[in-house]
Formats: sequence, structure tokens, C-alpha cells
Amino acid sequence: MAVGSVTARAALQAALAAEDAAIFGYGVAGAHLSGARQSAAEQDWTGHNEARDTLTAMISGLGATPVAAQAFYQLPFAVGDAASAAALAAYLEDGVTRAYLGLVAVSDQRLRTFGALAMQSSAERAAFWRGRTQAFPGLQAS
Amino acid sequence: MPDILPRRRLLAASAAALPALLAMAGCRSSEVFAGPDPLAGRPPLSPDVITLQAVIAAEQAMIALYQAAVHGDPRPAGRAGSLEGLLAQHRQHLGQLVARLILPAGEPSASFSPSTSPSAAPTTGPTAGPGRVTIARLRAAERASATNLVRRLVTVPPDLAQLFASIAASDATHAVALGG
Repeated sequence: MAVGSVTARAALQAALAAEDAAIFGYGVAGAHLSGARQSAAEQDWTGHNEARDTLTAMISGLGATPVAAQAFYQLPFAVGDAASAAALAAYLEDGVTRAYLGLVAVSDQRLRTFGALAMQSSAERAAFWRGRTQAFPGLQAS
Repeated sequence: MPDILPRRRLLAASAAALPALLAMAGCRSSEVFAGPDPLAGRPPLSPDVITLQAVIAAEQAMIALYQAAVHGDPRPAGRAGSLEGLLAQHRQHLGQLVARLILPAGEPSASFSPSTSPSAAPTTGPTAGPGRVTIARLRAAERASATNLVRRLVTVPPDLAQLFASIAASDATHAVALGG
């Protein structure tokens, strides 16, 4: 198989892993939120599930086996209230944005576009939970 | 008679014999001397450089638009502080873009400065133009910029594509911050 295909597959697997982590994390965050913010978390959780399904199909379409989600993910910090729950959601979205940034570097132009558009969605969600925008979502400089 | 030809006659003979030697070897002189011709003027810029220049020009235009909004009269109600923050991020975008631009010696590059003033607005992108700069206009410009960057990133090298994608994502969050 061509090197480019392997790179695309690895990038898709990384994006899938990030989506799986976000699905787990939003389950934790949502338990500490209420009202409109809990509804937002549920909506984002649903979006990540849909993205996971899309990526799973794309990886299978390349003839590879999608990496299975872990049963448990180590959280980056303790989550015990609404503020830390929102910080966790922003952290998760940053991870998803970085993963999709990997797809932008592959040679396949459709995957580049797919990754770039997915980055916009996750960056918008991160800005919502963080309460401010970033100059360079997904890049170290942000 | 001397057995060594005078130097001038030897050089003349070599030059005259060169086409024949090349013909025997199946070569043309243009193939032997392949490479940039120093007398033919500057080589054309690569497509990646042209793309980057266009993106830089659009970013400069965006900065000019924000500056017109921030310093304009009247300013968008209750937005001055947030607009300053978004403007600062656009200046960061421009700084990173300019840092990637490597032009051949002699190419004009004086206008590429992160501290672009409204008077330095380029001819491409969302120019401030006449009339008041509204939040809706800024929002539309941010959306258009994000779309334009995604369109352009498919043809450039991976590291530049990632920078375009990151800036496009930032612009998309700006559009949301502006209410849309």
C-alpha cells in the first residue's frame, strides 16, 4: 500500500481515538452541568457520536479495522463542578481539533478538506466552553 | 613550427567545435546549460508563494476592516473590547503567515507587516470600503475567510495547509463570537 494511504489511515484512527475520548469525557462533564449548559453538552456528545460513526465507516472503507474505544480514560484533572466540567469539555475539544489537524496534512485533498471543516466545528465548541477564541486552534502556538 | 598552438587560437577552435561535439553527443546547448538563466530576469514565483501572498493580502484586508470598525464612528455598540481581541488574533495570523513567506531577492515585500494600518489595505479580500463597518459585515468576512482558506489548503504543502486550517478554524470561531 502507498505511504500516503497509510498516513491517511493513521490520521483517521487518531481522529477516531480523539472522538472516543470526547464521548467518554462529555459523559463525565455532563453530570456536573445543568440547564442550558447540560443541554449543550448533550448536543456535543451526540455530535461526537455521529463523528465517531463517520470515521469508523471511513476507516473500514480503507480496508482497516477501526481502533476500539477504551473502557476508561484518565481525566486530565479532577472534575467536580460546573467550572471544571466546562474546562474538561474545552480540553476534549482541543484534543479533537489537534487530531483533525493531522488529517489536514495528508495528501488526499478530500480528507484535508474534511479535517479542516471538522476542526472548525470542534474549535467553535472549544470556544463556547472556554468562553473565548484562540488564534491558532489545534496548533502549539495557540 | 611550434607544436603548441597559441592560447587564443586554441580557445577559438574549442568554441567552434562545441556545437559539433554536442551534436555528436545528441545534446542541444540548452540541455547542457540547463538551469536558471541569470540574464533572463527573475524566475516566476512558485504557486505556493502566490497562494501565500494572496492569503496574506486577505489577512491584511481583514485587519484593515477590523481597524475601521474599532476606530470608526460610530463604533459597533458594546463591541469595542471584543473586537480588539479578535483584531489581535488576526495580527497573530498575519505574523505567522508572513513568517512562512520566503521571496527571492529583489521581490517587493515591504507591505507585509503584522502591524498593517488601514492605509495599507491590499486590493484583495474584505476591503473596508466606504460606509460603516458593521458586525454583520465582519461576521460575513470571517465566514468568507474560513471558506477561502479551506479552499486554498488542498494544494499547498502539509505544514502550510495546517496553518491555513488553524486560521480558518479561528476565523470560524470569530464568526460565532460575532453572533453568527
